[in-house]
Amino acid sequence: MSAVNIRNVSKAFNEGKPNQVDALRDVSLDVRQGEFVSLIGPSGCGKSTLLRLIANLLEPTSGEVSVNGKSAVQARLEQDYGMAFQQAGLFDWRTVQKNIELPLELKGWEKADRRARADEMLQLVQLPEFGDHYPWQLSGGMQQRIAIARALAAHPPLLLMDEPFGALDEMTREYMQGELLRICAATSTTVVFVTHSIPEAVYLSNRVVVMSPRPGRLTKVVDVALGGERSEDTRNRAAFFEAITAVREGLRGMHAAHVGLGNDDR
Amino acid sequence: MTSLLRRTAYRTAMFVLALGLVVLIWETYKAVGPADGGKLFGVRILPRTSEYAMPHVWDMFQRFGRPEVRGSDRTVFIAVLAGAWFSFRLSVAGFVLGGAVGVGLAVLMARFKLVQRGVLPYLVVSQTVPLIALAPLVVSWGGKLEVGPFVWPRWLSASVLGAFLAFFPIAVGTLRGLAAAPAASVELMQSYAASWGKTLVKLKFPTAVPYMVPAFRLGASASVIGVVVAEISTGLKGGIGRLIIEYAREATGDPAKVYTAIFGAAALGLTMAGVVIAADVFVMRNRPKESIS
Repeated sequence: MSAVNIRNVSKAFNEGKPNQVDALRDVSLDVRQGEFVSLIGPSGCGKSTLLRLIANLLEPTSGEVSVNGKSAVQARLEQDYGMAFQQAGLFDWRTVQKNIELPLELKGWEKADRRARADEMLQLVQLPEFGDHYPWQLSGGMQQRIAIARALAAHPPLLLMDEPFGALDEMTREYMQGELLRICAATSTTVVFVTHSIPEAVYLSNRVVVMSPRPGRLTKVVDVALGGERSEDTRNRAAFFEAITAVREGLRGMHAAHVGLGNDDR
Repeated sequence: MTSLLRRTAYRTAMFVLALGLVVLIWETYKAVGPADGGKLFGVRILPRTSEYAMPHVWDMFQRFGRPEVRGSDRTVFIAVLAGAWFSFRLSVAGFVLGGAVGVGLAVLMARFKLVQRGVLPYLVVSQTVPLIALAPLVVSWGGKLEVGPFVWPRWLSASVLGAFLAFFPIAVGTLRGLAAAPAASVELMQSYAASWGKTLVKLKFPTAVPYMVPAFRLGASASVIGVVVAEISTGLKGGIGRLIIEYAREATGDPAKVYTAIFGAAALGLTMAGVVIAADVFVMRNRPKESIS
């Protein structure tokens, strides 16, 4: 059973009106259990829309989305996925601990169980001593780690992330990428990850899906041949650069076609 | 905490300074101004400075210590305090009632866009109706109300009029606050399949608090104004509004007396605002220290 299955999905906003926007046209994608898949492309290519279709925050105009063999609606109702956004989006009025407990509260967990799970998640993101702090007392990177802890608190099999490290500085960003891989390996979570950054997509992913705009569609899927174990050394390996080149060519080919230039003329 | 303390001390000092300045201006004008006021082409443009028109500030305060009426053992201070306490309780009742109605309306308007479009214009119009015109109506409607053992007490009319002024800023502020939750947070709650009610309690109300606090502060002072005006226009006995009227009638013989009631009304408004500010500091104690205007 695949973690996410998208079959011939199209999404149009303002359908039938003069200002109709074809955000996605005829997209098909299959994400295997335990796989890390990144969606990359210029703004307007529909990568965030695709993520929201998987999350069932949007309904497709046509086509089907299934998550863990269930319909997207059912998966959302059963909290089969966790979600993290570019802004950590922690609630200012709750302590870090209470923020992590939020999805569990909504699932109706007992207080003692919530507390135990929140402690476990704080250990996982290596911030065990910050449970009683308030989010605004933490740095941006720490806030984002708490947001990941919250997304994974209910142990969902799938994690959906929308440019979660986009607001962080480069150093913190690379550190967070390592942390994310460690956490996902520890919890064997499947991840669908939206990003603007080519090295980030390549470093994290088993597969990088290149998308293009107007209308949003998949143009290329790059398999990253880096194996499961990744470390700082990974960033210096030949396979890393090859994959970066492949993704860049995918993006550039589309760009050249879009502005009407040949590939050899740049 | 020390910065909070310093800020409070600074504000208190500025408040006392401003008060001193008012006294200084009052007394200076009284000393140098013409006793019969200034006239220009037969029109009086400067107020009289006689004892009847402008009593000394210290006379006003001394008046607090003397009996309310000749031969009585009740001082004006006690009378004003009792009146202010009476009006305070009515204002609190009006504030609570107005708060409940205001927040309830805001929730309804946030839930149903149709209600918002239908009701909001009427709320705005309601605030243009002069309170004085409304007061006798409320009293007469209330007087006819009798549900089982419940008989409409006269003081409730004053509280209702206080509520009438208080609910509006509270409804508008709360509505604005309920709409202030960031889109990502709303999506997050959706991703948890949280119901509308759960989203309201766990996300929308907490985000609305910084908007509700100034709205409640406005509502509190509006409730005091509503109650005092209602006391005056409905002739309700026992409150500070009634005292202002009674003491003003005695102004020819006892000019300082009416000012004691006015001070009482001012103290009442400040107390009410103080209570709300204390509640504000309490609910916002764990929030980031940046305020919205």
